[in-house]
Amino acid sequence: MSRNLVEIIRRHHELGAPTALEVLKAAVADHGELTDEDRRDAAARSGLPEAAVHGVSTFYDDLLAPRGERHIRVCTGTACFAATADAHVDELRDALGCDLGERSADGSVSLAETVCLGYCHSAPAVREGEVVDAGPSVVERVLAGAIRPAREPPPRSALDGPALLAFGHDWAGLSRAIATLTPEELLDVVKRAEVRGRGGAGFPAGLKWEFARDADGERKFIVANGDEGDPGSYIDKLLMEERPELLLEGMALAGYAVGADHGFVLTRSEYPRSKPALEWAVAVARRAGLLGASVLGSDFAFDVTIVEGAGSYVVGEETALLACLQGLRGTVSARPPFPAQRGLHGLPTVVNNVETLCNIPLVAREGAERYGQLSPGPTSGTKLICFNERFERPGVYEVCFGTSTRELCEGLAGGLRDGQQIKALQIGGPLGGILPASLLDTPFDFDDLAAVGCMLGHGGIVAFDETTDMRALATHLLRFGATESCGKCFPCRIGLRRAHEMFVADEDVDRERLEALLETLELGSLCAHGSGMPAPIRSLLEHFPDELGIA
Amino acid sequence: MDRDLTTTCGYCGVGCRLEAHASDGKVITIAPALDGPANKGHTCLKGRFAHQFSRHRERLDSPLIRDGDGELRRASWEEAIALIVSELTRIRDADGPDAIAGLASSRATNEDCYVMQRMMRAAIGTHNIDNCSRVCHSPTSWALRKSFGLSGATGSFDDIEAADAAILIGANPTEAHPVAGARIKQATLRGLKLVTIDPRRIELADYGVLHLSPRPGTNAAVMLGLAHVVARDGLVDQPFLAARTEGYDETRALLEDYTPADVQRISGVPAADLQRAAHIYAEAGEASVMWGLGVTEHRYGSEVVRLICNLALMCGKVGRRGSALLPLRGQNNVQGSSDMGALPDTFTGYQSVADESVARRFEERWGVSMKRERGLKIPEMFSAAVAGDLKAMYIFGEDVAQTDPDTTHVIAALESLELLVVQDIFENETTRYADVVLPASSFLEKGGTFTNAERRIQLVAPAIDPPGDARTDFDILTTISAALGHDMGFQTPADAMDEIAALTPDWAGVSHERIGRGGLQWPVAADGTDSPILYEDAFELPGGRALLAALPYKPPGSEVSDAFPVILVTGRRLEHYNAGTMTRRTHNLDLVGSEWLEIHPDDAERLWIEDGSLVSVRSAHGRIELHAHVTARIEPGHVFTAFHFPEVRTNLLIGPSADVNTSCPEYKVVAVDVRPVSEKPRRTPAIAAAG
Amino acid sequence: MRVIVDDSDVDVQAGTTVLQAVRLSGGFVPTLCFDERQEPFGACRVCMVGVRGASGPLPACTTLCRDGMVIDTRDETARRIAAATVELVLSELPQPPGEGTELAAIARDLGVEGELRWPGAVHERREDLRHPYLALRQELCISCGRCVRACDEVQGAFALTAVGRGFDANIAAGMDQGFRDSTCVSCGACADTCPTDAITEISLLAMIER
Repeated sequence: MSRNLVEIIRRHHELGAPTALEVLKAAVADHGELTDEDRRDAAARSGLPEAAVHGVSTFYDDLLAPRGERHIRVCTGTACFAATADAHVDELRDALGCDLGERSADGSVSLAETVCLGYCHSAPAVREGEVVDAGPSVVERVLAGAIRPAREPPPRSALDGPALLAFGHDWAGLSRAIATLTPEELLDVVKRAEVRGRGGAGFPAGLKWEFARDADGERKFIVANGDEGDPGSYIDKLLMEERPELLLEGMALAGYAVGADHGFVLTRSEYPRSKPALEWAVAVARRAGLLGASVLGSDFAFDVTIVEGAGSYVVGEETALLACLQGLRGTVSARPPFPAQRGLHGLPTVVNNVETLCNIPLVAREGAERYGQLSPGPTSGTKLICFNERFERPGVYEVCFGTSTRELCEGLAGGLRDGQQIKALQIGGPLGGILPASLLDTPFDFDDLAAVGCMLGHGGIVAFDETTDMRALATHLLRFGATESCGKCFPCRIGLRRAHEMFVADEDVDRERLEALLETLELGSLCAHGSGMPAPIRSLLEHFPDELGIA
Repeated sequence: MDRDLTTTCGYCGVGCRLEAHASDGKVITIAPALDGPANKGHTCLKGRFAHQFSRHRERLDSPLIRDGDGELRRASWEEAIALIVSELTRIRDADGPDAIAGLASSRATNEDCYVMQRMMRAAIGTHNIDNCSRVCHSPTSWALRKSFGLSGATGSFDDIEAADAAILIGANPTEAHPVAGARIKQATLRGLKLVTIDPRRIELADYGVLHLSPRPGTNAAVMLGLAHVVARDGLVDQPFLAARTEGYDETRALLEDYTPADVQRISGVPAADLQRAAHIYAEAGEASVMWGLGVTEHRYGSEVVRLICNLALMCGKVGRRGSALLPLRGQNNVQGSSDMGALPDTFTGYQSVADESVARRFEERWGVSMKRERGLKIPEMFSAAVAGDLKAMYIFGEDVAQTDPDTTHVIAALESLELLVVQDIFENETTRYADVVLPASSFLEKGGTFTNAERRIQLVAPAIDPPGDARTDFDILTTISAALGHDMGFQTPADAMDEIAALTPDWAGVSHERIGRGGLQWPVAADGTDSPILYEDAFELPGGRALLAALPYKPPGSEVSDAFPVILVTGRRLEHYNAGTMTRRTHNLDLVGSEWLEIHPDDAERLWIEDGSLVSVRSAHGRIELHAHVTARIEPGHVFTAFHFPEVRTNLLIGPSADVNTSCPEYKVVAVDVRPVSEKPRRTPAIAAAG
Repeated sequence: MRVIVDDSDVDVQAGTTVLQAVRLSGGFVPTLCFDERQEPFGACRVCMVGVRGASGPLPACTTLCRDGMVIDTRDETARRIAAATVELVLSELPQPPGEGTELAAIARDLGVEGELRWPGAVHERREDLRHPYLALRQELCISCGRCVRACDEVQGAFALTAVGRGFDANIAAGMDQGFRDSTCVSCGACADTCPTDAITEISLLAMIER
């Protein structure tokens, strides 16, 4: 990330300037397509140089697709693929006479791809304006101009008493911490509770906080990573939209422990309801004295700003997220410097996943010991997981770490609907391996899943039924990988394109060349996107070698 | 044949080290040297690209002699030299050596300037030698010597990154010194707190923490005001003042009259901004001051430089890494040409011609006897010519008819001469009045050294040979000197440098070999130790003490009146260099092909001037026409233009007003009247509805 | 602190990168996106080295030295990954890089030659030759970011930007108006650092082609 641009942005931010991305998003919302005039305006208002603004405008999905009077966004996430093998995309394209990323000649309609809308429980999903509709007949409703908001199943708990998803939010964790704990003591509690990051990497949150707390900086920031980009996952969506106070409380606690006075939540533009829900919660919390210059009457000041992204999977990576938050291109930066040393506006910053932060109030309220006992295995706390539409009872569930995957899929979620059998699962997003039905008894925890080439990731579970074409799945995943590569590191930028080309071609894939390419991606890539994309391909090679067309 | 070598840029005073690649007598590419101390692997479009002028078809490739019919014709070197020698001898015999004057060039090498002044002093016998720093930084040179002792920057460009804060006054480095400008810009983004002071909102103002926009000609009031605040608010470094300076009490008493409110009245700078600027500078751990011609080219420019020195002394910010005074020198060797004694009152290293022991040392070495009285400065030369006292001039590498002020007067002077010899690389405005024109060489075609704005002596090496019959300046000057009966005995510029080292205590350890790739910053001790930072322990004045100067603000020589209600400020553009002799013969012309007048939207509105329309600019001294550019970068009441295009002849507008101590012209303040040329504006301002 | 580079001890200060340590030791690691005038970028993944105890090869430019680190510039896996990456880079160009370019030199160093294992789409030809000094040929851009950083970190003109993403990533001058109409100050720092001649001096184009 350009240190100079970050400094320029910091200076303009202090003067109240918007980010370039905010101005560009507003321009697209206003008139459907960016002009050079919009870019100049964004440069003038944000302080970012014109060239940099142009760079931003060519990066994000939301800024690239031209918008017609009706702007239709079709979800091409993994759950939608599992539901229709992308038939819904073809139907829309044919019926609208409009290719993905195009606008009809008369400007009446435009079609864009989006990954993913977080309606995996009712796939396939389509969005028009701010309304997301989903389900088997969604395409017909879109074509009839009769879309309606899809229903979302309420979250359920597999625990004796719900831990994270407790109803009635009372901010007890924050009250207790401010009244009885010093920031150092709170940090110590979080460290002892061994809260692991829920975003996928599983890094201890307390350690991250400690780095930021110990770093030098005029100010420090807490950033909630709400860019739940993993297709097949809608856990953070639920938390941000249905439990926003929990996130805000977790952020305030992090701010208290780290010595930060401001927090930012980056939400996804694919989740149009997240930002309003959080902003409403912020307003309520401010009025109640829970956020602001004097939190709960103490001399701890903390406030939160909600910023919406613009369509990019890699922005879920923490350095790319910070770039996006500052209105820059959402590309990954090499570490060091780590965000804890030089993050938002060049200042020490904690970046935590939404679910991770939502665990903090529980830790503050219940203490490290009780939090540690919530799950029987080595991992503390509970995990939210979610299932796709193929299951009988899709939705978000709170579960203990260490439960067997079979128990989750067959017990909790009721197995697949319509008597279908599970052929394989993809757990934890597109960078997770594919778990074949034969390995369903693997315990659902970080290390157990890693041992079979999979990962817990963020906890999204997408089931593929017996009808799934595994080569089509590989092609689908690699297309996603290549499309979403931020373009920074060479192995990922070129390698994922090449891998996709190998699978999309109407010929056998040369195994030796493929494996050499996968190794280059795994060992050479800058971030988990490039190094992780080979994982599902490796699983498929291992478990479904005959279905891939490998020579 | 290919040639790869490292040399030093011949454009501005930053002194970029360049890697040149030439093939078949043509420069193919130029790239910055990664180890260049001033440029650190960077350079600007002039240094990197603007080299095609070296093989431009208009390059002088043969001596020219003016015929009876008034036309210049090609001539042989023998003929040209014979004519010069016979004419100079005739005039010297008839009117004495002081009827002859020479101008050395701040574009040429140290060795060229050295042999030029030696030729004037030893072969002809006059101290009438000056150089074009007279019209740019002579006030800086004079003031630094008065205040601190030595005539050069107190530190280095590396102080830019080492400073916590800096004041940049009267300079626009991102255009005029692009590599220094880039370094300053980068430093501001890394935390350097920059205060810019300029009538125009220069680009760096956008990166600084504060911009002050004083009325042109009121810099002294601003500097006095800053010093007032420093004294008033207890920001003075008392131990430093007590131990290392003299003259504070008198200065302190004078400062009483320059409260921020007083200064606001004089300069228009808001009192609060002035106070903030003073605190930023004084409270920084290390802070530097950088300035350019916006300080010097004024009636009291030399006094403003002394006031800058005062401020630095009061705050104890001299003589440390990060606390430097850095004049941004305009030309590649403006420092060196003066260092080399191309001045009417000093030999090399600013050794006075009036100093008996110094003069004897030179007389012994050169085998001649010389006067102890100084010679004429440039403006005095022109006046003497018009008066009929000066009969001959030898002008080397300066287009005085284009760049000097009061152009009408300069031309009258040139026309009055019996002999005008011009040694240059192109025909120019001045060669129109020349009797003999000698084809010289550019910086790409010769060896020697340049001294950059941080006193760094750096090697220059020839990438290509001079075109046709053109010769190196060193060759031309030593040949003519010998023909005049004074053979200097130098084979190469390195020989000249050895003599300079022998005669100049501050250059005692300098030799081409020692300069090497990294250069040497003078003073250089006999053992080769150089001086990146001056005055770490003592100033070079009696008792080792710096001198503060109690100098009040005085109004500029040119002030607005009913007839001339607007102030014209002149300056430079990135793409061009001075008179444009070189850059206008490159593709830089393709980037910027004409001059324009910057005018504030309010003034434009009032004067019915539209962006792009043709306007006339009239001063008490002349009138020019050019196109207007409406921009808020300039304050209302001021207009700005550059002087790179001879067809615009900006300097016709400049009068005889000059710095009181050094005669440096007041280029920066001219009262003018601006009007649209077209009688009927295309746009008629709306008439307010009646009632 | 002390690190070992290919069996020789090198004393380094805290904050020294592995690449700096290798260079201090007199050793060599190929680089594509690195320029000593700029901050390390970590994009090209060509400066891979082996580090004892690490799970895989590490990029030398963005990895900091730790006391006692054992660095192997000839590590087989590291060289294999670097060579494969350069092979991928060659596969995105519509023509081989000019002989005199850094990219060609690095390909030679890593022994990348012969038929490419992963042929596929190449960059579309698109050039801007309207500036008097600077030529931009986007099909040769490998998105190393050196020009963008030169314009940002060295010159401060901010006239260049990365554009697009994934395989389609490239660079643009200004808002894609080309050098001439952007805020470019023609300093040429971009051409100076470009490892593929995607940006080069216009006067050299004829010579490069020859």
